[in-house]
Amino acid sequence: MKPRGKLTIYFSYADGVGKTRAMLASAQAQQRAGRRVLVGETDGAVPDAAALGLPCLPPRSVRGTSLREFDLDAALARRPDVLVLPGLAHANPEGCRHEKRYQDVQELLRAGIDVYTTLLVAQLEGQREAAARLNGREEREWIPDALFDAAESVEFVDREPSALSPLPQGLSQSQLLALRALALRRCADRLSLSRQTPDGPAVSEHILVCLSAAPSNARVIRMAVRMANAFRCACTAVFVRNPGAKAMPAADRERLKANMKLAEQLGARVEIVPGEDVAFQIAEYARLCGATKIVLGRSIAARGHLLNQPSITDRLIQHAPGIEIHILPDGEAQRRLQPRRLRLPHVSVSDFAKTLVILALATALSLVFYEMGFSEANIIMAYILGVLLTAVVTSNRLCSSATSIASVFIFNYLFTEPRFTLEAYDTGYPVTFLIMLLAALMTGTLASQLKNHAREAAQTAYRTRVLFDTNQQLSQAADGRDILALTAQQLIKLFKRDVVMYPVQAGELGEGVAYPARGAGGVDALMGERRVAQWVLRSNRQAGATTDTFAQAKGLYLAIRINESIYGVAGIAMGSQTMTDAEHGMLLAVLGECALAMENERNVREKEAAAMQARSEQLRADLLRAISHDLRTPLTAILGNASNLIANGRELGEQTRQQIYTDIHDDATWLINLVENLLFVTRIEDGRMKLRCSVEVMDEILQEALSHESCKGRNHSIVLRRSEELLFARIDARLIIQVVINLVDNAIKYTPPGSHIELFARRDGDFIRVSCADDGPGIAPGDREHLFEMFYSGKSRRADGRRSLGLGLGLCKSIVSAHGGTICAQDNHPRGTVFSFTVPAQEVDLDEQAVDSGC
Amino acid sequence: MNKLLILVVEDDKSVRNLIVTTLRTNGYRFTEAPTGEEAIIQASSHNPDVILLDLGLPDMEGIDVIRRVRGWSNVPIIVISARTEDADKISALDAGADDYLTKPFSVDELMARLRATQRRLAYTNTSAPADSAFVNGALRVDYAANTASVNGEELRLTPIEYRLLCLLAQNVGKVLTHTFITQKIWGKSMESDIASLRVYMAMLRRKIESASGSETQYIQTHIGIGYRMIKL
Repeated sequence: MKPRGKLTIYFSYADGVGKTRAMLASAQAQQRAGRRVLVGETDGAVPDAAALGLPCLPPRSVRGTSLREFDLDAALARRPDVLVLPGLAHANPEGCRHEKRYQDVQELLRAGIDVYTTLLVAQLEGQREAAARLNGREEREWIPDALFDAAESVEFVDREPSALSPLPQGLSQSQLLALRALALRRCADRLSLSRQTPDGPAVSEHILVCLSAAPSNARVIRMAVRMANAFRCACTAVFVRNPGAKAMPAADRERLKANMKLAEQLGARVEIVPGEDVAFQIAEYARLCGATKIVLGRSIAARGHLLNQPSITDRLIQHAPGIEIHILPDGEAQRRLQPRRLRLPHVSVSDFAKTLVILALATALSLVFYEMGFSEANIIMAYILGVLLTAVVTSNRLCSSATSIASVFIFNYLFTEPRFTLEAYDTGYPVTFLIMLLAALMTGTLASQLKNHAREAAQTAYRTRVLFDTNQQLSQAADGRDILALTAQQLIKLFKRDVVMYPVQAGELGEGVAYPARGAGGVDALMGERRVAQWVLRSNRQAGATTDTFAQAKGLYLAIRINESIYGVAGIAMGSQTMTDAEHGMLLAVLGECALAMENERNVREKEAAAMQARSEQLRADLLRAISHDLRTPLTAILGNASNLIANGRELGEQTRQQIYTDIHDDATWLINLVENLLFVTRIEDGRMKLRCSVEVMDEILQEALSHESCKGRNHSIVLRRSEELLFARIDARLIIQVVINLVDNAIKYTPPGSHIELFARRDGDFIRVSCADDGPGIAPGDREHLFEMFYSGKSRRADGRRSLGLGLGLCKSIVSAHGGTICAQDNHPRGTVFSFTVPAQEVDLDEQAVDSGC
Repeated sequence: MNKLLILVVEDDKSVRNLIVTTLRTNGYRFTEAPTGEEAIIQASSHNPDVILLDLGLPDMEGIDVIRRVRGWSNVPIIVISARTEDADKISALDAGADDYLTKPFSVDELMARLRATQRRLAYTNTSAPADSAFVNGALRVDYAANTASVNGEELRLTPIEYRLLCLLAQNVGKVLTHTFITQKIWGKSMESDIASLRVYMAMLRRKIESASGSETQYIQTHIGIGYRMIKL
């Protein structure tokens, strides 16, 4: 993979200081140094680039508008070493791949292209507010601070404000000085940041920030992330969704979404936790993820004061005593609370109708009771039953509360003396009304809470069941492809949407597989969005429909990942219906299961491979150990004998010299045989011999083996008995020749001079049996079982100093087994030993065979 | 007759010494070259009768030496290779080498190869290509009559066996690779053709041997490489 490109930011406090000029000057220097520089033109932003002799990339027109924008794809295609692209904070118009230019830059960096760009201090997310206070104007285009801090280098382009003329953007000298101080301070912060622990974030700290729909929450998030940066630690943003969240007004929901996105962009991990008790859930989650600090805004902290209950802060301290809690002041909280109280809660028409019907029914029943002369207690019961029913059938708690109040009034109006007025004569009635109201309110509240709990429990149970199901199925998958297929089936079952799965192998996106949902027919459109999946893989972030990147795509694409390892990319069709948060959570959970299964599968596979590797390494190591010993002995003899000849060759008698020559020759021959066996050992892979089979004529194999040096026993008579018919076998010729050589060599070694050795091949069913018979002393019965173990050689012979490696017969067994044959040693009659092995016979059909007989 | 000039191309000094000593004691004339470049210069200036060529040279691939020499000369080249991989030998043979020896080889083996090459040279020098018959010991191939006989007794050969015999006879003394033979006989070289070749060759050998009634080998099998007609 290409190394990431380097980002250089030309940073300043105001326009007109000379950022662009400084940037172009260093680009020129780079070009002179022989690097390929390209200036990304965006409508007229770099007027002098061409004049400086820098090649320019013409901008492209944005579809459907008259705008001309930087052409990202062309820049990627031209692969320059350095790309000059001013205006890092620029927001792209609609129709571009990314919403912001810094996202383009990130993609360029990922492609290994160095980027030079410009930035103003006011365009830094974290400095926006401060800068706005200074110059009275909020910058609309901005970049996350993390990008600035992570830049390879930041060149601060400076000039005395007094040297600027005219003063840029109508700012005063003092404003410029203040902005300049801000910019300098930010640069200093960045330096101190980068000096701390260069080896990544310390694991000791973890900051948890609470998300809310409050507009001030954005500030809290920024502060928390800045804190996390200062500590060089991870930051997690948590939102506790309680059942009341459904009733959240649309504007709040939008703000909450925006806050979540902000947290994500700043580099925090966003989590949604369901639950009613905010303090308990936050504490629980903090414990789970090992957070050391919790940051919350004052608006959240203050919640709960109304009924004099302990505040969230108090309860957090109670639930999570070991965690530091930081509360940030929240100036806007009060301003915001007012309009919210006045706003009428939204009640759906059907809920309203249901409430009315139930109220009417309760009244009708009460009228019947009244006419029948039942006591008032029965009437009150009828109304309370009505409230209970309302709480159960409507989704808004307001309905049951309204029913409670209305019940009291109707009771008063219709059934207490004087009837049809809102007055009551009996002094006991106000108490009756109050108790009735309280009973009705509590009944309604309890019922609706019960209902919500039941719904939540059902949802949780469903989710658990689905995940359990998924887990069960995935554990039975045979391989990675199976896991992806099963996950896709599960997703289709859950969401009834088309799914496409891309496996990832060694960092490369594999061929996508489409899984069409029944009834939905857009899977072909999904298949055409491979580049979105490609992007997801490269950036490890979701993309496609409902996100900022490739928003026009038909599907939503997510990485199947565990931390940084990506096992696949899943695409799911979005269509007109977007997913609810619960569905989204479920999708993530299922993909998480899938990633876990993929990781397990990969671990198992790697473990198996490692074990296999270890086995064959072990085998080889054993061999080498055994062999190195057996190499030394003959080498010592050869070396010593040769030295003797060189030093005192003349003084030695002719007979001694002849003996020494013979010894050297024999030792060398022995070594050759050993080396050749060794070469075949290298063919053992994964604990098995690798075969290169071809059809061979058995007699020719035997003949070739006998022509080998080590089969030329000077004092033995060796005979090859030809077979009557032509025997063909499908074998690895080199290996089988070595087996025969080893057998004959063995026979020569272990029989006295003058012995007869006979070699022949015969048909034996579907096999061909090759035998090597001698009339030597035979093999002791105890030795016979160990003969074919690697490194075994008869003890008695070892002792008399004539080395012999057990390797030969052990190797023979490996080779024969690899061919699917067997090898054995039997007694010969009247004396001696027969070694024989089998190899599969091969029938050879010849078209011309018929012609042959007639010729 | 042992006045042949042998060019020994070998970079390893002790192996070169061994070969040279052997040649000297057997009465051959020789010249030495430790590198490929030197070998090509000597081959053109000394005009040797046989080249003994080591495949693993320091300055260039042995195969390239063969190709360069074959550019102007048909001098017999015997390749010496330490590599056990058959592929190396096959590509050397296909590039134009006549024979090969695998290290470690015995002195006897080297001498046997030289004698065989010498016989072949003597045969090709005395017979013209236009000769209508090939005679090798008791074996006689009559090109004009399309027949082959051993000891005057005609062999009953299939057309393919006869064509194989002719091919071997025309290249007597040379190791012919499987690919070369199948290309010549079938015009293609597939795995199944090579399997068939084994069978035809085995049958051809049997027919010649049973007709000659002796253990004399006319056709030599080189497992994994090819076949050769030996000049007796």
